[in-house]
Amino acid sequence: MKKKDKIVISSSTKNLHLVREFIEKKGESLNIEPNTLNQILVSVDEACTNIIKHNYKYDENNEIEVETDTKDKKFIITLFYKGEEFDPTKKNNPDMKEYFAKFKVGGLGIPLMKKSMDSIEFNHTQPDLNSLTLIKVI
Amino acid sequence: MDEFTITEKKQDGLAIIYLNGFLDAHTSNVLEKKFEELLALKSFKIVVNFSGLTYISSAGLGVFMAYIETMRSNEGDIKLCSMSDKIFNIFDMLGFPVLFNITKDENEAITKFTESV
Repeated sequence: MKKKDKIVISSSTKNLHLVREFIEKKGESLNIEPNTLNQILVSVDEACTNIIKHNYKYDENNEIEVETDTKDKKFIITLFYKGEEFDPTKKNNPDMKEYFAKFKVGGLGIPLMKKSMDSIEFNHTQPDLNSLTLIKVI
Repeated sequence: MDEFTITEKKQDGLAIIYLNGFLDAHTSNVLEKKFEELLALKSFKIVVNFSGLTYISSAGLGVFMAYIETMRSNEGDIKLCSMSDKIFNIFDMLGFPVLFNITKDENEAITKFTESV
């Protein structure tokens, strides 16, 4: 397998499954066990969904670049995208006891994204360019 | 292959819905529409069979959160059954089994409805 690889999608939720299929193939070639690989898929999916919704406001004329890499037994997925500088790692997870007691809806994408990975890094690298790196120890 | 489809059957006053394919931010509106249909028919007792579902994200989880209170306040419930390990794992990560009744198979979910009558 090529060490680094990437896929570029236009920012529509209809393309989420393309990103998942891309990551799944990579994960399978690394022999990542199915439950762990599924968590990685969910994390990348949630990250892309948030970008499509919040950064690009469902405007399909934008792109998300998804890059994969491996290093020191780590599967590393980096998303490159434009728009608002918002660091999801700084957002606190909801209190799930209260969440269920009040039958709340929404806001679970970032918690799921974070719980599924070992570490996440956000960078606002250049003017109007963000990167979000999702790391799983494999 | 369709990305996400739902089939349905009525049995003993329950609506049993079967999810097939993947449930993400693109397809979750199909499930939302199904719950709206069931609400319109005053069908509040629902079993959701996950055996044909290959994937779920928070968009899918959100649909169940959006309807559980209404179903319960109408003496119904949404009971979930027949999940693969990887799907259950996603529900479990956020503690959903605290709020939702999740059973191994469909019969068990149906029995739980008849027991609670």
